[in-house]
Amino acid sequence: MTLPADLLDAIASAAVREGLADAVFTRLSTPIGRLLIVQGPQGVVRVGFEEDPEDVLLAGVAARLGPRIVASDRELAATRDAVEAYFAGDDETLAVPVDLQLVRSDFRRAALVALHDEVHPGHVVTYGGLAARIGHPKAARAVGSACATNPVPLIVPCHRVVPGSGGVGSYGGGPHRKRQLLAHEGAILT
Amino acid sequence: MPRAPLPPFWSLIESHGAELLLHARRLAGDDHAEDVLQDAMLRALRAYPRLAHAEHLRAWLYRVTTSAAMDHHRARRREVPTEQPPTAAVEADYDDGAFDALIAPLPEASRRVLRLRFVDDLDYDQLGARLGCSPVAARQRVSTAVRTLRKQGTPA
Repeated sequence: MTLPADLLDAIASAAVREGLADAVFTRLSTPIGRLLIVQGPQGVVRVGFEEDPEDVLLAGVAARLGPRIVASDRELAATRDAVEAYFAGDDETLAVPVDLQLVRSDFRRAALVALHDEVHPGHVVTYGGLAARIGHPKAARAVGSACATNPVPLIVPCHRVVPGSGGVGSYGGGPHRKRQLLAHEGAILT
Repeated sequence: MPRAPLPPFWSLIESHGAELLLHARRLAGDDHAEDVLQDAMLRALRAYPRLAHAEHLRAWLYRVTTSAAMDHHRARRREVPTEQPPTAAVEADYDDGAFDALIAPLPEASRRVLRLRFVDDLDYDQLGARLGCSPVAARQRVSTAVRTLRKQGTPA
């Protein structure tokens, strides 16, 4: 048994309005399954796939941003709209604020920033190619780690990073999702 | 000793929200229960990062809800606004006496029942075992005490 949705919404919105929320999350159904999106004051900090345990994921956010985490579809309406527009094919830019504070190292952050800013829908880059873009042409494996630990998949498009040897390579959400996203963007043929 | 981190607040609402709404309904009535619960959850959020530990959170939320219900009740009974701030039962310290002050008008037997239920967080099976009665009888004793408290209003 849960509380009425309008009461939950009212509590969450009041919490956000009064500055009492360290982060807000929303659950969104998409063609790649249900996504959990968590947003802090500076932007989206975490995106999880439906098989990621929600309590673990939120606890990770709480450890960094604070424990006052509330759920609200309404407060994250702009972010939900952007993700829905992406999957509808109306606007694939996913132009929402991103906050990479859950990324553990400067190198990984630099790789993810370059990926986010420079590799657009419909394009792919190799691990080595992304490493070269941030000035470390031999660091393909480290770029692979940055992608594997990307806290905001989809928003920072690690699905657009592929092996130089061919194929789509691995993906935190599974290779099937990577293939599905790349096909959706027209980067590969299904 | 490492302390367990506080769980994300919403997981508490998703686990305990429905029973807290019932509690608010028993204390404040159907018409006011949702307002009371919303107020209680905002109070809880304000205090949450300052809690000393992550234990007995359900019992803590019951106390915050009880306190919000009593303040709501008091605010509605008063015709003129008061300069007195609302009771601070929500503060980080668990043993600040606010709950005891709240239940002070009751006889000791009722106070003991409410303390076992809401401070020590016993469920009705455990409460019945402690009081030497059935879980159903334990539940009745709690609700009678809460009802009495509600009728009497709040301590000065």
